[in-house]
Amino acid sequence: MSSIRSRPDHDALETTLVSRLENLEIIVCCGSGGVGKTTVSAAIGLALTQRRNRRVLVLTVDPARRLATALGLKEIGTDPVTVPRARLRRAGIEMEGELVAAMLDMKSTFDRMVTRLAPTRRDAERLLANRFYQGISDSFIGSHEYMAMEALYELHEAGEYDTLIIDTPPSRNALDFLEAPNRLSDFVGARLLSWLSGPSRFGFRAVNLAAAPFLRMADRLLGADVLTEVAEFVADLQKIYGGVQQRARDVYRLLRSSQVGFVVVTTLEPGPFGEAEYFCARLREYRMPLRGVVVNRNWPDSLRDRTALATASALAEDDTLPAWLTQRLGHRVSPDTLHAIGDQWLLLHAIAERDARQLSRLERLGNVEAVRIPLFSEDASELEGLARIAALL
Amino acid sequence: MRFSRWPVLATERRTAPTAASALDELLSRRIVFVAGKGGTGKSTIAAAIALLAANRGKQVLAIEVEPKGDLATALGWKGTSFKPELAQPGISVVALHPEESFQEYLHTFFKVPRLARATPLAKIFDFIATAVPGPRDMLVVGKVAFEERRRDHRGNSVWDMIIVDCSSSGHVLAQLNAARSMMELVRGGMIRNQVEWIDSVISDSKRTAVALTALPEEMPVVETLELHRDIVKQRGVHVALCVLNRVMQDPLPPASRRIMAEIAGAAEEVGARVPALDGIAADLELAERLHKAGEAQARRLREGVDVPVLEVPLMASRTGLATTRAVAKALVAATPRPQS
Repeated sequence: MSSIRSRPDHDALETTLVSRLENLEIIVCCGSGGVGKTTVSAAIGLALTQRRNRRVLVLTVDPARRLATALGLKEIGTDPVTVPRARLRRAGIEMEGELVAAMLDMKSTFDRMVTRLAPTRRDAERLLANRFYQGISDSFIGSHEYMAMEALYELHEAGEYDTLIIDTPPSRNALDFLEAPNRLSDFVGARLLSWLSGPSRFGFRAVNLAAAPFLRMADRLLGADVLTEVAEFVADLQKIYGGVQQRARDVYRLLRSSQVGFVVVTTLEPGPFGEAEYFCARLREYRMPLRGVVVNRNWPDSLRDRTALATASALAEDDTLPAWLTQRLGHRVSPDTLHAIGDQWLLLHAIAERDARQLSRLERLGNVEAVRIPLFSEDASELEGLARIAALL
Repeated sequence: MRFSRWPVLATERRTAPTAASALDELLSRRIVFVAGKGGTGKSTIAAAIALLAANRGKQVLAIEVEPKGDLATALGWKGTSFKPELAQPGISVVALHPEESFQEYLHTFFKVPRLARATPLAKIFDFIATAVPGPRDMLVVGKVAFEERRRDHRGNSVWDMIIVDCSSSGHVLAQLNAARSMMELVRGGMIRNQVEWIDSVISDSKRTAVALTALPEEMPVVETLELHRDIVKQRGVHVALCVLNRVMQDPLPPASRRIMAEIAGAAEEVGARVPALDGIAADLELAERLHKAGEAQARRLREGVDVPVLEVPLMASRTGLATTRAVAKALVAATPRPQS
């Protein structure tokens, strides 16, 4: 695959994806849902532990079933589980290092963050008990993405693992987590909040007059108690704002550092591919290091073979062929059967051609080394399948 | 199998909903939510259902919850707007925008003049919608319920049918649940009645139904089964049917296999007329394995959901009006009418 390299220190054409990732401390796999992101993260983890004596933690977001299936584990919870060496050996996998899997615990990450940043224990308790808090911690846009990064930061700080691999949460927009640190600090820090909650922090009765018409209406709409609670919540939230902002900056710095690498996973379906293209562009914009692209589920190149195309077209359309074959083979050859063979192949051919057009767009994007994973006829749901993918990385 | 793609005897029809009656039933609803995992072709299927409804003479409003323009594209319309635009005869398409919906809401119910963007009100709304669970999701269902009730000057419904191209699966439940969550938060105030009204519209199985979308692959099937269970159990919203998209037809039926083997074993001149047939056979073998894997997943889906499953065959194209038309045709073909 051709590629244009922006960094001369990488002899990209000579190296495998895994060799480019092996010295990193954090690997972030991104891509839209359903492209096999989790499987690819697990395969990268497997490849790293197979080739190096490393302790690798593969992290996934809820639900963790896909990762568990891929690693042949029954279940993965928020406590790390080591993939048993015996099980790997049974699947024919010899391993130098240790492969550990866990599910990100975003809710408790948020709670820990609040507890850590709140000035007093009472502030923390009040925040955690606020009924809007539950909602904010799991429904505000970007919070999942941000918490994934926050948890990653904590784990990295703890330093228990040589490498952390994480697949980004399946979000409406796979890019949300890049903006999540900003969103969170914008959100907590918006000047609006001080305007809304007022300097006295005693709720809306004390706020400036400009807000009054809105507040009168809001009271009619929601009932006064709701707004008062929101105001208290906002006031409490403001107390942790400085800390949130600082942490967001730290997370950003970490994500831009040379210890971190991003891997974009995509299929050649127009939807996921479009997101991957956009994603690569955004990573550059954010100056976050893209180390490779994994193009999953490639149809075989034989589907684009010219001779096969001519034959399939003849099978599908050439009306003289059935009679000719009937004569040569000495029994009746049904035109329908030939047409069916031709049509089936032509359908797959059309899909393969569409995919090839997508792939050429990826090459135009430049700067990325792409690994193509063939379409396996079964999901790589067992360790053998995972090892097969790992070998390609 | 309870729900087959093939015509079912009239006696059986009385006991089990067939795919045919399921599509008819779906098209008789006032509100249809099309929900499923991202990448399962939700927008195309929503657009296809809109086409089928419009073909039956209905005035359809197609709502795109995430304004990415996918639904508009599937309806042969460029771009997406927050004002309904006539995309196809009988089909208007609109993208949902929380702030616009909120202003519309204030304007309609509280006679608050519409405001320019970036006013304090808009900012405050943005904040509250971000901070408080519910309002954003609430506005999705609120808008849907509101459009359902919209009447022209003669008092007739403006829309016969509203089709909602939902957010990806995780979020759908929150949206369907929004009114109920809001009822817990807002115990008083004027909004309470409206929230109750919205919830009653969404819960009314005669008016509202969900069409699920899935692919014949492991994770999409697992997630569809979960979504189905959650919608029915947690929410009690009626699920009318499930569309299984991109189903690969059997690429190597015995007759095809036989003839290819015969050609391979025949004289050289036969093979020369159809060169590279062995390559074609190998490609079709891969397709056959995919087909088998897909069939197993389809079976799992059928056994797990107690609603008819309509299959749409794998196509080379993914977007655009032509694809939508082909999908609409496939939906009808998947639902043979009982012989009268």
